[in-house]
Amino acid sequence: MAPSSSSGLTFKLHPLVIVNISDHYTRVKTQFNPPPSLCATENASNNGEAMLQPNPRVYGCVIGVQRGRTVEIFNSFELLFDPSTDTLDRSFLEKKQELYKKVFPDFYVLGWYSTGSDAEESDMLIHKALMDINESPVYVLLNPAINHAQKDLPVTIYESELHVIDGIPQLIFAHTSYTIETVEAERISVDHVAHLKPSDGGSAATQLAAHLTGIHSAIKMLNSRIRVLHQYLAAMDKGDIPCDNSLLRQVSSLLRRLPAMESERFQDNFLMEYNDKLLVTYLAMITNCTSTMNEMVDKFNTAYDRNSRRGGRTAFM
Amino acid sequence: MNKMEALITSIQGLSGSLGDLCALHARLRKAEDSLRINSNVQLSILKQLDPSIHSLGYLYILEASTSGPVWKKKATLLIAQFINCCDAGQIRLASEKFVILCKRFKDRVFKDPLRGVGPMLSAVRKLVQVSPKRLTALHPDCLQLCLQAKCYLAGFSILSDDIVEVDEPRDFHLYCYYGGMICIGLKGFQKASELLYNVVTAPMHEVNSIAFEAYKKYILVNLIHSGQFSNSLPKCASSVAQKNLKNWCTPYYEVGNYYNDGKISELEAVVVAYSSDFENDNNLGLVKQAVASLYKRNILRLTQKYLTLSLEDIANMVQLPNAKEAEMHVLQMIQDGQIHALINQKDGMVRFLEDPEQYKTSEMIDVMDSVIQRTIGLSKNLIAMDNSLSCDPLYVGKSQVGRERQRYDFGDDFDNFPHFSM
Repeated sequence: MAPSSSSGLTFKLHPLVIVNISDHYTRVKTQFNPPPSLCATENASNNGEAMLQPNPRVYGCVIGVQRGRTVEIFNSFELLFDPSTDTLDRSFLEKKQELYKKVFPDFYVLGWYSTGSDAEESDMLIHKALMDINESPVYVLLNPAINHAQKDLPVTIYESELHVIDGIPQLIFAHTSYTIETVEAERISVDHVAHLKPSDGGSAATQLAAHLTGIHSAIKMLNSRIRVLHQYLAAMDKGDIPCDNSLLRQVSSLLRRLPAMESERFQDNFLMEYNDKLLVTYLAMITNCTSTMNEMVDKFNTAYDRNSRRGGRTAFM
Repeated sequence: MNKMEALITSIQGLSGSLGDLCALHARLRKAEDSLRINSNVQLSILKQLDPSIHSLGYLYILEASTSGPVWKKKATLLIAQFINCCDAGQIRLASEKFVILCKRFKDRVFKDPLRGVGPMLSAVRKLVQVSPKRLTALHPDCLQLCLQAKCYLAGFSILSDDIVEVDEPRDFHLYCYYGGMICIGLKGFQKASELLYNVVTAPMHEVNSIAFEAYKKYILVNLIHSGQFSNSLPKCASSVAQKNLKNWCTPYYEVGNYYNDGKISELEAVVVAYSSDFENDNNLGLVKQAVASLYKRNILRLTQKYLTLSLEDIANMVQLPNAKEAEMHVLQMIQDGQIHALINQKDGMVRFLEDPEQYKTSEMIDVMDSVIQRTIGLSKNLIAMDNSLSCDPLYVGKSQVGRERQRYDFGDDFDNFPHFSM
């Protein structure tokens, strides 16, 4: 249903839009699906409203600038969706548009956004409704399902194209490629969001854990890539894959760029420092265990000692 | 006889899945008394059953046939074979019977312990499979058998498992005591000291003889291992132990005191004076080892004072007869790794060195890694115990009452608990 677009426009997406859409979705989802402790009281008072939607869809408008063949999407705002008429709230949209015009005179309504895994038929109605503001609106779709295997952003941009299907000219969605463009200020906010932790990120323990996790994942990625290269070279050596000389040249140049320190002094220093780190870790673990044991003994004494003067024990635990 | 036939067919038929086994178990329990009476039939029944498949039925019949005072000769052999090939899952349903059977087996083979070590070891292993890290009644029996047979290594393999749960205090005391003796036999004095310490400081209502014997050995092992002796029991020993254990250990206290003074000749005099007491306690060998270790202790003290020393001076200070013996002792200690030194044979000088371990090798990394892994496991256990204790109603009751009395805010105390996470 979504072939590649051939309009020749280049799309640039700002991260602010992505953050906005995901924030909107998260807010709506938590509001409609309260945590289980509150659910018990809520369910008694609500009568049959469809509260527990697994994945509520949110809608909104994207605004930006179109200069020639480049479409740059800067910002977005939310809109209410009316399920009875399947349209977006028009008056609200126009009001918001006027407000934004006052602050950003260059920005036009470029299209709309929603969440979901794929574009649907009903979306076309909304798309057509927006066509009177913008002749060819864009549809930004965010997939809120968290897929750890997927490395790319789950954001797709669709354009509408007129195709002749079964003799009838119809509008269908065609997805286009886009690039991410950032302004300096946006980089700070993206960094902040990327490192957000559920607890307060201020204490040293969580910061250290976060830092080490980052290093760990970076090293894991490096390791897996080196393994891929290694397997590739081994297969080439065995003859399973035809030799690609340009790739071999690239690999050898990469290897020559590595700092190769084989001296014995390096080994000594490296191992000594490694052992020091291990010893410090061991010491930290022992301290941890000792403090846990201390707490446990205190609790045991509070629970089981009849009289603190007598040193005797009453029962095995 | 029909009942027996029916029993055999039911055993053979129902030894399959778990549900069947429970039904079989119920039937066997009802048939127990009739089994005991018909002693002639029992062995013939056993021939028709296979111990590895029909373990539960086999167990019941064996137990019935050994419950009387007189055993058939073949019974011991059959029991040994049964233990070796029975199925741990089926045994789990009747673990008390299994324990009783093994105890009787152990009593039988006590005169000839070597035959029994193998089966007892596998019996303990099978029970451990059922409930890991739990001390069973069989552990001390197996250790006792290993001691009797002088198979120390076999017993040591049981000792290396960690124990987290204990059913009977007496089992635990015996286990630690025998375990300590096995470690002494293997010359692992550190582990022996730990095990005996466990017995001495175990909670008890009244003093038992196990604690006495353990305390005597504990004093001696401590002398051999670390050269330390203190007049008082460790602080965490129960008050009962603290009042009573000292009264009966005067010879050992004398040995300890003279050891601390460091004079070999006086120590030997004390040993000779009390040698009858030591012999009664079977501790004479340990006492002699303690005397031998005094030389080592003195030489160790010398390493802290001097950088180089001649062999004659060592012999004089340590009260050894001549320089040759001093050289032998120093050589032995260097080989054991207790001191680091260089002996220059030309002029008979000994130079004491520092510990050459630089922690620079990759073998050290492996050692550290395994030690850290063990500590991680221990830490998990501790945290689990801590959590279960926090949920214990006794604790919650007492701590809450305490809080209400002082009118603390409930939330405050949670904030004051330092939260560490690994």
